[in-house]
Amino acid sequence: MTFISIEFLLFFAVIVFTYYSIPHRWRWILLLAASYSFYASLNSYFVLLLLASTAFSYVTGIIIEKQETKQQKKRVMLAGICVLLFILGWFKYFNFVNDSVRAIAIYMNWNYGVPYQEIVMPIAISFYTFQAVSYLVDIYKGKLKAERHYGYFSIYFAFFPQLVAGPIERAKKLLPQFKVEQTLKYENLSYGMKRIAWGFFKKTLIADRLAPIVASVYNSPDATGSEIVLATILFSIQLYADFSALSDIAIGCARILGIKLTENFKQPHFAVSIGDFWNRWHITLSTWLRDYIFIPLSKGKKKRSEIYLVIVITFLVSGIWHGAAWTFVLWGLIHGFYRVFGDHTKHVRGKMASFTRLDQSPSLHKWVKIAITFLLVCFSRVFFRSNSVAEAFENAQLFLTPYSWRPAGLIDALQLFSLLDLMIFSFFFVIVQLFHYIERKNTSTWDWLSQRPAFTRYAVYVLIVVSVLIFGATGQGFVYGGF
Amino acid sequence: MKNIEKYRNAFIEALELDENETLEELALGESSEWDSLGHMILISTLEEAFDVSIDADVMTEFDSYQTGIDLLTRLGVDFANE
Repeated sequence: MTFISIEFLLFFAVIVFTYYSIPHRWRWILLLAASYSFYASLNSYFVLLLLASTAFSYVTGIIIEKQETKQQKKRVMLAGICVLLFILGWFKYFNFVNDSVRAIAIYMNWNYGVPYQEIVMPIAISFYTFQAVSYLVDIYKGKLKAERHYGYFSIYFAFFPQLVAGPIERAKKLLPQFKVEQTLKYENLSYGMKRIAWGFFKKTLIADRLAPIVASVYNSPDATGSEIVLATILFSIQLYADFSALSDIAIGCARILGIKLTENFKQPHFAVSIGDFWNRWHITLSTWLRDYIFIPLSKGKKKRSEIYLVIVITFLVSGIWHGAAWTFVLWGLIHGFYRVFGDHTKHVRGKMASFTRLDQSPSLHKWVKIAITFLLVCFSRVFFRSNSVAEAFENAQLFLTPYSWRPAGLIDALQLFSLLDLMIFSFFFVIVQLFHYIERKNTSTWDWLSQRPAFTRYAVYVLIVVSVLIFGATGQGFVYGGF
Repeated sequence: MKNIEKYRNAFIEALELDENETLEELALGESSEWDSLGHMILISTLEEAFDVSIDADVMTEFDSYQTGIDLLTRLGVDFANE
């Protein structure tokens, strides 16, 4: 059962109906049963691992709290984190490390006999492991009390709307919300349904329509440079539509249950710098990496060069978190380089903007920065999307070749679409951009829409639902569901 | 050395500012020196100068010269009676 299915909507409707029909004291049992059932429907075998990780984190949190000295607390916390990372490492990274060591051994003529292991990665393990690590660190730092109610703690670990692909929540924010008695509110129901519908819209009309086109180029051995350029730009649009749709559905479902999840995206493709991009893209991962990797490693650093190293390490962790492959490591490294290069050259770039008088036209200057940031992000995604390091470098070379960018070649590459597909995609892409435009001018498009006449509002809602039903493409999994 | 002088020196050292610069109006993000990376260096410098630990949660509160004084005062640094 995936988010984009009638089964999920029916399942969720039953949960909502039951949730508001039973007394508050029983709701945690319902949410827990729903969460484990949902996870079991995706991957029944690994429910046991989820249960074990939950029990381990629960007990470790209490043990940390019971230690008398800061040093003892730290030891228990580190031991707990090591166990959690070992489990993550075993399932997600064993074959990556094994294959890498074997490749080195072959190159160096060493004798290395550890065979490839058939290990299936449990869905959502990266997400719930990061939540568990933040929980243990926060208890160690005294920011959070260890949760004693095993039921509520288990929901924090497995809350079905955000279990599969986040947002990565902190216990301090999420746990108290489960304990508050929620009543069915019209505004929550209305807002939640709109967010879910909007998620379906982006997923089925943008992401899943682009996925086969992008795949046809990236899986082709003889793609042209212009096709790589176009497919990479389309992949950026696909990835945003795909992942932000997942967050929309998660936030919408949780809101109907009275739970507020953290926003994960703020129009990342309108970022004016790479630093700004990471404040807008997968925000809950960025803030997690900032709070639990970047800031602790930056402590005591008094030179920019030392902070630069920490930035690169943080982005490497981000890359490895995304996937057990060297392409993701390189992707992380590229973003680390972007961030460091951007900081190191900010004075020079300021002077260039002044010399070219670009800074005298703030609006144009802003759009130039948005365009450059978007292209830099697209280039990094060549590595994110390519199937191997060798292919990534070939594709990157094609992406950087000026010939690949000639307008005639790009127009030719549009033949990747059928005419009908191109028209459908263009129409819905414009609608998404219109939504973003209104959001940039106002704080929320939904609030803006709620102030329009009833006819306009319902026309938009009907357009969203009918478009999904008629033109929605399905059958593709979520990209971030695989992490 | 008075705490306010140590505080001022920390800014000059961490953000590589001119000694004669007016610091009282400085705010995070409003000058090229005090950006997010400069902020981390400033935090490290202040932690060492005043032997305090500034937690990630309160780092975002510290967004101007004056709020830094308020934050350190909360952490036990006395700026008033010295």
